[in-house]
Amino acid sequence: MKTDVQAVVDSYIRELERELAALPRSRRREVVDDISAHISEARSETGENESAVRDLLDRLGEPAEIAAEARDHLDVRPSKVGFVEVAAIVLLPIGGIVLPVLGWIVAVILLWVSAAWTTREKAIGTLVVPGGLLPAFLMMFMPVGMETCIGGTNRRGQTVQEVCTGGVSTLEQLGLWALFAVLVIGPIASAIYLGVRLRRRAPVAH
Amino acid sequence: MLVETGTLCRMVVGGTRDAVLAQLRRGTLEYCVLALLRDEERYGFELVKGLSRVEGMVTSEGTIYPLLSRLRRDGLVETTWRESTAGPPRRYYRLTATGKDALDWFAVEWIRFRDAVDLVLEKRIR
Repeated sequence: MKTDVQAVVDSYIRELERELAALPRSRRREVVDDISAHISEARSETGENESAVRDLLDRLGEPAEIAAEARDHLDVRPSKVGFVEVAAIVLLPIGGIVLPVLGWIVAVILLWVSAAWTTREKAIGTLVVPGGLLPAFLMMFMPVGMETCIGGTNRRGQTVQEVCTGGVSTLEQLGLWALFAVLVIGPIASAIYLGVRLRRRAPVAH
Repeated sequence: MLVETGTLCRMVVGGTRDAVLAQLRRGTLEYCVLALLRDEERYGFELVKGLSRVEGMVTSEGTIYPLLSRLRRDGLVETTWRESTAGPPRRYYRLTATGKDALDWFAVEWIRFRDAVDLVLEKRIR
Protein backbone atom coordinates (compact mmCIF):
# COMPACT_ATOMS: atom_id res chain seq x y z
CA MET A 1 0.00 0.00 0.00
CA LYS A 2 2.78 2.34 0.99
CA THR A 3 4.62 1.73 -2.26
CA ASP A 4 1.41 2.42 -4.21
CA VAL A 5 1.15 5.85 -2.65
CA GLN A 6 4.81 6.55 -3.35
CA ALA A 7 4.36 5.49 -6.98
CA VAL A 8 1.44 7.90 -7.40
CA VAL A 9 3.50 10.76 -5.97
CA ASP A 10 6.57 9.84 -8.03
CA SER A 11 4.63 9.81 -11.28
CA TYR A 12 3.10 13.19 -10.41
CA ILE A 13 6.56 14.67 -9.79
CA ARG A 14 7.94 13.12 -12.99
CA GLU A 15 5.09 14.62 -15.00
CA LEU A 16 5.71 17.99 -13.37
CA GLU A 17 9.39 17.81 -14.33
CA ARG A 18 8.44 16.99 -17.90
CA GLU A 19 6.01 19.89 -18.06
CA LEU A 20 8.64 22.26 -16.69
CA ALA A 21 11.20 21.19 -19.28
CA ALA A 22 11.15 24.59 -20.98
CA LEU A 23 12.37 26.37 -17.83
CA PRO A 24 16.00 26.96 -16.85
CA ARG A 25 17.24 24.13 -14.65
CA SER A 26 17.52 26.14 -11.41
CA ARG A 27 13.95 27.39 -11.66
CA ARG A 28 12.63 24.00 -12.57
CA ARG A 29 14.42 22.61 -9.49
CA GLU A 30 12.92 25.29 -7.27
CA VAL A 31 9.33 24.57 -8.31
CA VAL A 32 9.82 20.81 -8.07
CA ASP A 33 11.46 21.12 -4.63
CA ASP A 34 8.67 23.36 -3.34
CA ILE A 35 5.96 21.01 -4.60
CA SER A 36 7.79 17.97 -3.21
CA ALA A 37 8.12 19.68 0.19
CA HIS A 38 4.41 20.52 0.11
CA ILE A 39 3.54 16.90 -0.61
CA SER A 40 5.69 15.54 2.22
CA GLU A 41 4.32 18.12 4.68
CA ALA A 42 0.80 17.12 3.74
CA ARG A 43 1.60 13.41 3.90
CA SER A 44 3.02 13.73 7.37
CA GLU A 45 -0.31 15.25 8.42
CA THR A 46 -2.74 12.95 6.67
CA GLY A 47 -0.77 9.72 6.83
CA GLU A 48 -0.04 7.32 4.01
CA ASN A 49 -3.59 6.78 2.93
CA GLU A 50 -3.94 6.50 -0.82
CA SER A 51 -7.19 8.42 -1.19
CA ALA A 52 -5.81 11.24 0.97
CA VAL A 53 -2.74 11.47 -1.25
CA ARG A 54 -4.83 11.47 -4.42
CA ASP A 55 -6.97 14.20 -2.94
CA LEU A 56 -3.83 16.15 -2.07
CA LEU A 57 -2.51 15.91 -5.64
CA ASP A 58 -5.95 16.88 -6.92
CA ARG A 59 -5.85 20.05 -4.89
CA LEU A 60 -2.34 20.83 -6.08
CA GLY A 61 -3.69 20.78 -9.62
CA GLU A 62 -2.51 19.44 -12.95
CA PRO A 63 1.28 19.57 -13.44
CA ALA A 64 0.57 21.32 -16.75
CA GLU A 65 -1.31 24.04 -14.90
CA ILE A 66 1.53 24.60 -12.43
CA ALA A 67 4.02 24.67 -15.29
CA ALA A 68 1.90 27.16 -17.22
CA GLU A 69 1.90 29.43 -14.17
CA ALA A 70 5.67 29.08 -13.81
CA ARG A 71 6.25 29.91 -17.47
CA ASP A 72 3.86 32.82 -17.28
CA HIS A 73 5.58 34.33 -14.28
CA LEU A 74 9.02 33.75 -15.67
CA ASP A 75 8.14 35.20 -19.04
CA VAL A 76 9.30 31.99 -20.61
CA ARG A 77 6.47 31.43 -22.98
CA PRO A 78 6.42 28.37 -25.15
CA SER A 79 7.85 29.45 -28.45
CA LYS A 80 5.49 29.79 -31.32
CA VAL A 81 5.67 27.07 -33.89
CA GLY A 82 7.24 28.84 -36.79
CA PHE A 83 9.02 28.23 -40.03
CA VAL A 84 12.17 26.94 -38.34
CA GLU A 85 10.36 24.17 -36.47
CA VAL A 86 8.33 23.01 -39.47
CA ALA A 87 11.41 23.10 -41.72
CA ALA A 88 13.43 21.10 -39.18
CA ILE A 89 10.74 18.41 -38.87
CA VAL A 90 10.35 18.10 -42.65
CA LEU A 91 14.06 18.24 -43.51
CA LEU A 92 15.28 15.85 -40.80
CA PRO A 93 13.97 12.75 -42.58
CA ILE A 94 14.16 13.82 -46.24
CA GLY A 95 16.66 16.70 -46.32
CA GLY A 96 19.61 14.36 -46.69
CA ILE A 97 18.08 12.75 -49.77
CA VAL A 98 16.99 15.96 -51.50
CA LEU A 99 20.37 17.57 -50.96
CA PRO A 100 22.73 14.71 -50.14
CA VAL A 101 24.02 14.89 -46.54
CA LEU A 102 23.99 18.70 -46.54
CA GLY A 103 20.17 18.84 -46.37
CA TRP A 104 20.25 16.79 -43.19
CA ILE A 105 22.96 18.99 -41.67
CA VAL A 106 20.79 22.04 -42.35
CA ALA A 107 17.89 20.30 -40.62
CA VAL A 108 20.03 19.52 -37.56
CA ILE A 109 21.16 23.16 -37.35
CA LEU A 110 17.53 24.32 -37.50
CA LEU A 111 16.61 21.75 -34.83
CA TRP A 112 19.28 23.00 -32.41
CA VAL A 113 18.67 26.68 -33.17
CA SER A 114 14.97 26.40 -32.28
CA ALA A 115 13.99 27.04 -28.66
CA ALA A 116 10.91 24.86 -29.02
CA TRP A 117 12.54 21.59 -27.96
CA THR A 118 14.51 20.45 -24.95
CA THR A 119 18.09 19.22 -25.31
CA ARG A 120 16.91 15.65 -24.88
CA GLU A 121 14.35 15.97 -27.67
CA LYS A 122 16.95 17.57 -29.93
CA ALA A 123 19.37 14.72 -29.24
CA ILE A 124 16.70 12.18 -30.16
CA GLY A 125 15.94 14.10 -33.36
CA THR A 126 19.62 14.13 -34.26
CA LEU A 127 20.56 10.55 -33.38
CA VAL A 128 17.45 8.77 -34.68
CA VAL A 129 18.73 8.33 -37.38
CA PRO A 130 21.81 10.34 -38.44
CA GLY A 131 21.22 11.33 -42.05
CA GLY A 132 17.47 10.84 -41.79
CA LEU A 133 16.17 8.53 -44.50
CA LEU A 134 19.43 8.81 -46.45
CA PRO A 135 20.99 5.60 -45.05
CA ALA A 136 17.82 3.67 -45.96
CA PHE A 137 17.81 5.30 -49.39
CA LEU A 138 21.44 4.33 -50.02
CA MET A 139 20.75 0.80 -48.85
CA MET A 140 18.31 0.31 -51.71
CA PHE A 141 21.17 0.73 -54.16
CA MET A 142 23.59 -1.50 -52.36
CA PRO A 143 24.46 -4.60 -54.42
CA VAL A 144 23.50 -6.97 -51.65
CA GLY A 145 22.20 -10.36 -52.50
CA MET A 146 23.50 -10.18 -56.04
CA GLU A 147 25.18 -13.36 -57.02
CA THR A 148 28.15 -13.29 -59.34
CA CYS A 149 28.62 -16.53 -61.18
CA ILE A 150 31.60 -17.54 -63.21
CA GLY A 151 31.30 -20.53 -65.43
CA GLY A 152 28.81 -21.89 -67.89
CA THR A 153 29.92 -23.36 -71.19
CA ASN A 154 33.49 -23.19 -72.41
CA ARG A 155 34.65 -22.81 -75.99
CA ARG A 156 34.60 -26.52 -76.63
CA GLY A 157 31.02 -26.78 -75.50
CA GLN A 158 31.89 -28.50 -72.25
CA THR A 159 29.99 -27.50 -69.22
CA VAL A 160 32.18 -25.98 -66.57
CA GLN A 161 31.16 -25.99 -62.92
CA GLU A 162 29.62 -22.66 -61.97
CA VAL A 163 31.33 -20.80 -59.19
CA CYS A 164 29.13 -18.31 -57.51
CA THR A 165 30.15 -15.70 -54.97
CA GLY A 166 28.52 -12.82 -53.18
CA GLY A 167 25.20 -14.41 -52.36
CA VAL A 168 23.72 -13.97 -48.92
CA SER A 169 22.01 -16.52 -46.77
CA THR A 170 18.34 -16.23 -45.85
CA LEU A 171 19.30 -15.29 -42.31
CA GLU A 172 21.54 -12.46 -43.52
CA GLN A 173 18.80 -11.31 -45.84
CA LEU A 174 16.35 -11.18 -42.94
CA GLY A 175 18.84 -9.14 -40.92
CA LEU A 176 19.27 -6.69 -43.76
CA TRP A 177 15.52 -6.27 -44.12
CA ALA A 178 15.23 -5.61 -40.39
CA LEU A 179 18.00 -3.02 -40.59
CA PHE A 180 16.28 -1.42 -43.56
CA ALA A 181 12.99 -1.28 -41.64
CA VAL A 182 14.72 0.39 -38.68
CA LEU A 183 16.39 2.93 -40.98
CA VAL A 184 13.02 3.77 -42.55
CA ILE A 185 10.85 3.78 -39.43
CA GLY A 186 13.42 5.51 -37.16
CA PRO A 187 13.62 8.90 -38.91
CA ILE A 188 9.86 9.00 -39.55
CA ALA A 189 9.08 8.13 -35.92
CA SER A 190 11.49 10.72 -34.55
CA ALA A 191 10.01 13.42 -36.83
CA ILE A 192 6.53 12.52 -35.55
CA TYR A 193 7.86 12.60 -31.96
CA LEU A 194 9.27 16.11 -32.45
CA GLY A 195 5.94 17.22 -33.90
CA VAL A 196 4.01 15.77 -30.97
CA ARG A 197 6.31 17.46 -28.43
CA LEU A 198 5.68 20.78 -30.18
CA ARG A 199 1.91 20.35 -29.97
CA ARG A 200 2.08 19.50 -26.27
CA ARG A 201 3.84 22.75 -25.59
CA ALA A 202 1.44 24.88 -27.58
CA PRO A 203 0.44 27.99 -25.61
CA VAL A 204 -2.39 27.46 -23.16
CA ALA A 205 -5.21 29.91 -23.66
CA HIS A 206 -6.20 31.83 -20.56
CA MET B 1 -16.04 25.81 -7.71
CA LEU B 2 -18.11 28.91 -7.70
CA VAL B 3 -20.14 28.15 -10.80
CA GLU B 4 -22.03 25.01 -11.65
CA THR B 5 -20.56 22.76 -14.29
CA GLY B 6 -23.45 23.43 -16.63
CA THR B 7 -22.58 27.10 -16.91
CA LEU B 8 -18.83 26.69 -17.26
CA CYS B 9 -18.77 26.91 -21.00
CA ARG B 10 -21.26 29.70 -21.36
CA MET B 11 -19.68 32.75 -22.85
CA VAL B 12 -19.66 36.03 -21.00
CA VAL B 13 -17.93 39.29 -21.86
CA GLY B 14 -14.34 38.51 -22.79
CA GLY B 15 -14.39 34.75 -22.34
CA THR B 16 -15.85 31.86 -20.38
CA ARG B 17 -16.94 32.38 -16.79
CA ASP B 18 -14.01 30.28 -15.63
CA ALA B 19 -11.61 32.51 -17.53
CA VAL B 20 -13.07 35.64 -15.97
CA LEU B 21 -12.59 34.26 -12.46
CA ALA B 22 -9.08 33.15 -13.38
CA GLN B 23 -8.29 36.70 -14.50
CA LEU B 24 -9.62 38.14 -11.26
CA ARG B 25 -7.57 35.72 -9.20
CA ARG B 26 -4.49 36.30 -11.30
CA GLY B 27 -4.46 39.98 -10.51
CA THR B 28 -5.21 39.74 -6.81
CA LEU B 29 -3.75 36.49 -5.52
CA GLU B 30 -0.22 37.82 -5.13
CA TYR B 31 -1.43 40.60 -2.88
CA CYS B 32 -3.37 38.11 -0.79
CA VAL B 33 -0.10 36.20 -0.37
CA LEU B 34 1.64 39.42 0.70
CA ALA B 35 -1.22 40.16 3.11
CA LEU B 36 -0.82 36.76 4.78
CA LEU B 37 2.81 37.66 5.38
CA ARG B 38 2.09 41.12 6.74
CA ASP B 39 2.55 40.26 10.41
CA GLU B 40 4.49 37.04 10.42
CA GLU B 41 6.73 34.89 8.32
CA ARG B 42 5.28 31.63 7.10
CA TYR B 43 6.45 28.58 5.19
CA GLY B 44 5.00 27.51 1.86
CA PHE B 45 2.68 24.77 3.05
CA GLU B 46 1.28 27.05 5.76
CA LEU B 47 0.66 29.84 3.24
CA VAL B 48 -1.08 27.53 0.80
CA LYS B 49 -3.30 26.13 3.52
CA GLY B 50 -4.15 29.64 4.67
CA LEU B 51 -5.20 30.68 1.18
CA SER B 52 -7.09 27.45 0.53
CA ARG B 53 -9.25 27.99 3.57
CA VAL B 54 -10.79 30.95 1.77
CA GLU B 55 -13.35 29.57 -0.64
CA GLY B 56 -12.82 30.45 -4.28
CA MET B 57 -9.39 32.00 -3.74
CA VAL B 58 -7.22 29.23 -5.16
CA THR B 59 -8.22 26.53 -7.61
CA SER B 60 -4.87 24.76 -7.96
CA GLU B 61 -2.76 25.05 -4.84
CA GLY B 62 0.38 24.08 -6.70
CA THR B 63 0.34 27.29 -8.73
CA ILE B 64 1.10 29.31 -5.59
CA TYR B 65 4.69 28.05 -5.57
CA PRO B 66 5.70 29.56 -8.93
CA LEU B 67 4.00 32.75 -7.73
CA LEU B 68 6.05 32.78 -4.50
CA SER B 69 9.15 32.21 -6.54
CA ARG B 70 8.39 35.27 -8.65
CA LEU B 71 7.62 37.42 -5.59
CA ARG B 72 11.02 36.45 -4.26
CA ARG B 73 12.82 37.33 -7.48
CA ASP B 74 10.95 40.61 -7.65
CA GLY B 75 12.16 41.42 -4.14
CA LEU B 76 8.70 41.58 -2.56
CA VAL B 77 9.43 38.70 -0.20
CA GLU B 78 12.63 37.16 1.10
CA THR B 79 13.19 33.61 2.20
CA THR B 80 15.14 31.83 4.90
CA TRP B 81 15.53 28.16 5.61
CA ARG B 82 14.63 27.12 9.12
CA GLU B 83 14.93 23.76 10.79
CA SER B 84 11.65 22.06 11.44
CA THR B 85 10.82 19.85 14.40
CA ALA B 86 9.12 17.42 12.04
CA GLY B 87 11.03 16.58 8.89
CA PRO B 88 13.36 18.55 6.62
CA PRO B 89 14.07 22.32 6.87
CA ARG B 90 11.36 24.66 5.63
CA ARG B 91 11.64 27.68 3.38
CA TYR B 92 10.08 30.62 5.24
CA TYR B 93 8.78 33.70 3.43
CA ARG B 94 8.91 37.17 4.90
CA LEU B 95 7.70 40.53 3.53
CA THR B 96 10.43 42.97 2.46
CA ALA B 97 10.07 46.76 2.67
CA THR B 98 9.23 46.79 -1.04
CA GLY B 99 6.66 44.08 -0.44
CA LYS B 100 5.10 46.06 2.38
CA ASP B 101 4.87 49.15 0.14
CA ALA B 102 3.25 47.11 -2.63
CA LEU B 103 0.73 45.67 -0.18
CA ASP B 104 -0.15 49.08 1.30
CA TRP B 105 -0.58 50.53 -2.18
CA PHE B 106 -2.80 47.64 -3.29
CA ALA B 107 -4.93 47.78 -0.13
CA VAL B 108 -5.85 51.40 -0.96
CA GLU B 109 -6.32 50.79 -4.69
CA TRP B 110 -8.37 47.66 -4.11
CA ILE B 111 -10.90 49.49 -1.94
CA ARG B 112 -11.11 52.27 -4.52
CA PHE B 113 -11.64 49.76 -7.32
CA ARG B 114 -14.08 47.59 -5.37
CA ASP B 115 -16.16 50.64 -4.45
CA ALA B 116 -16.16 51.77 -8.07
CA VAL B 117 -17.40 48.39 -9.29
CA ASP B 118 -20.02 48.23 -6.54
CA LEU B 119 -21.20 51.70 -7.44
CA VAL B 120 -21.81 50.67 -11.05
CA LEU B 121 -23.24 47.24 -10.27
CA GLU B 122 -25.66 48.67 -7.74
CA LYS B 123 -26.69 51.38 -10.22
CA ARG B 124 -25.96 54.20 -7.86
CA ILE B 125 -24.67 56.24 -10.80
CA ARG B 126 -26.35 56.89 -14.11
